[in-house]
Amino acid sequence: MTLLRASIAILLPTLLLVVGGTAAGAILTVRMSLHAPGAGAGLFEPGSVSLSSWASMGDAHHRGIVLTTILAGWGVSLLSTAIGALLALLAVPFAGLRFMGVMVLILAPRLSGVIASLFGLQRLLPRGWIGSLIAETWLLVPYSTLILVIALRGIDPHLVPAARGLGASRWQVLRWIIWPLSLPAVALTLQLGWVWGLGAFLGPLFLGGPDQSTLAFEIHHEAFDLGRWPRAAAEGVVLMVLTASAMAAGSWRPRP
Amino acid sequence: MRLEEISFRFDTAPTLAGVSLKVPAGAFVSILGPSGCGKTTLVKIVAGYLKPLAGRVLLHDTDITNVPPGKRNTGMVFQNLALFPHLSARGNVAFGLEARGLPSSEIHQRVEAMLDQVGLKPDERNRQPGNLSGGQQQRVALARALVIQPSLLMLDEPLSNLDSHLRDQMRGLIRQVQRDTGVTTMMVTHDPEEAMAMSDLIAVMNQGTIVEVGTGRDLYQRPRSAFVARFLGLANIVDGSVIGHRPGSSLLVRPECLVINGEGVPFAGIGKVINSEFFGADVLVTVVLGNTQVLVRGRPNIMPQPGTEVRVSAMPGTIHELPADGES
Repeated sequence: MTLLRASIAILLPTLLLVVGGTAAGAILTVRMSLHAPGAGAGLFEPGSVSLSSWASMGDAHHRGIVLTTILAGWGVSLLSTAIGALLALLAVPFAGLRFMGVMVLILAPRLSGVIASLFGLQRLLPRGWIGSLIAETWLLVPYSTLILVIALRGIDPHLVPAARGLGASRWQVLRWIIWPLSLPAVALTLQLGWVWGLGAFLGPLFLGGPDQSTLAFEIHHEAFDLGRWPRAAAEGVVLMVLTASAMAAGSWRPRP
Repeated sequence: MRLEEISFRFDTAPTLAGVSLKVPAGAFVSILGPSGCGKTTLVKIVAGYLKPLAGRVLLHDTDITNVPPGKRNTGMVFQNLALFPHLSARGNVAFGLEARGLPSSEIHQRVEAMLDQVGLKPDERNRQPGNLSGGQQQRVALARALVIQPSLLMLDEPLSNLDSHLRDQMRGLIRQVQRDTGVTTMMVTHDPEEAMAMSDLIAVMNQGTIVEVGTGRDLYQRPRSAFVARFLGLANIVDGSVIGHRPGSSLLVRPECLVINGEGVPFAGIGKVINSEFFGADVLVTVVLGNTQVLVRGRPNIMPQPGTEVRVSAMPGTIHELPADGES
């Protein structure tokens, strides 16, 4: 068996699970959104076909939620990438045990547990748009930093001395060497932040105000508080479309 | 360029102990030595990437020991070349000039002239390093270091990653460009043939110190220590001294100065061949003479088989007496 065949054989179950699970989830969500809302105790009317849940997607309430969700996506994306880049630049010069120590400090928010971190942030930050954004960014920054640290450490360590030796200032080295070489990783963290921010749920839950509802938060509210599963599913489909658009936009590269 | 009593000690780099060296303007000097002897550390100190514990680096009689690398006006070709992978060959060469803020017309003119000089073809100049061959990358690295018109050019094992054919080609190119530009050059190498072929002067390093400085010919034919004799090439070193000199010396004779069954050369001894190796241009024969093994380099058409008895003699004037206090 060739290495390629062996790799495919190992990866195939995972691939089928991911693709199949995602596709099945998406199909079921779309199907659910086309049912009529349940009367009484039912979640939906079995066998029914209705666009009533979709009718409300264009109202002012939902337009506001979609806008908040998109802004959360951009906000988390930009903030987590900027903070991740700064932390990565601080961490990269360290070596050996010191580097490990710095990385543990950066990853601590994730290692300490999400809920514990958010309870802590709840005590420190005001409820509202800013608090919600900071909370989501706080959760993502360790991942962004990790991606950027890996990218920066992948840059040939001789390039900076070579550039400095040719007379480049620190700023020129950052602008002409480090920035372009870490651009793919920056694009990846922006994309990750965007997708993460679109799905913002815990931030709005712990620190959001009444006007900072995101699609993920609204889906939870519709499904579990109000029992309107078809409407929650319609909102879920909107969120899937937004996420897919973000993924597609992030993966787009100009033709050379 | 002058190095005065340079000392260096650090966990991650070999130690230097009082290294002094004077490089005449326009000369091509090689720092030659085994791995870990401190030669790259020395060049990094000269380039300003490392600070010495003690001692001074002087360039045109100016102390540049504490001057940052970018302000020393030195050019460096790194062992792995360190070309900027996202820039074209032109972009790489222009980098140092752009960092200095020169007008774009001057940058363009100097970059093209430099690339002409190192022989990079016009259609190769917009390619990124990843799309250039090893030799082309080498040319770009050399052009990038030279285009800033440095007072001192440093080459850190510049040919070590090339195959032998390309190495020969680049050796000639580097020397030619160095002669044309007249730039004082310091090259680090562990390859004695490379050092001898390219250099005006060679400084042989061992264990953090310079053990001997001289021309390639002097160091090869008349070294002052067994270490230098052995490091520069195959050597037969036997105990003995010239009559009338201090006892306790050793005698050096290179394998190519010995002759097997030669006509018209003084007789030295009869020995038994224990090994013969064919190298294409020559053969290397190991002969036991009494209780000493000697190596003889001969023409490829004469290849005595192991077990045969041969007459070994030395060509006149080729035996060199190593000083008694030379390192063995």
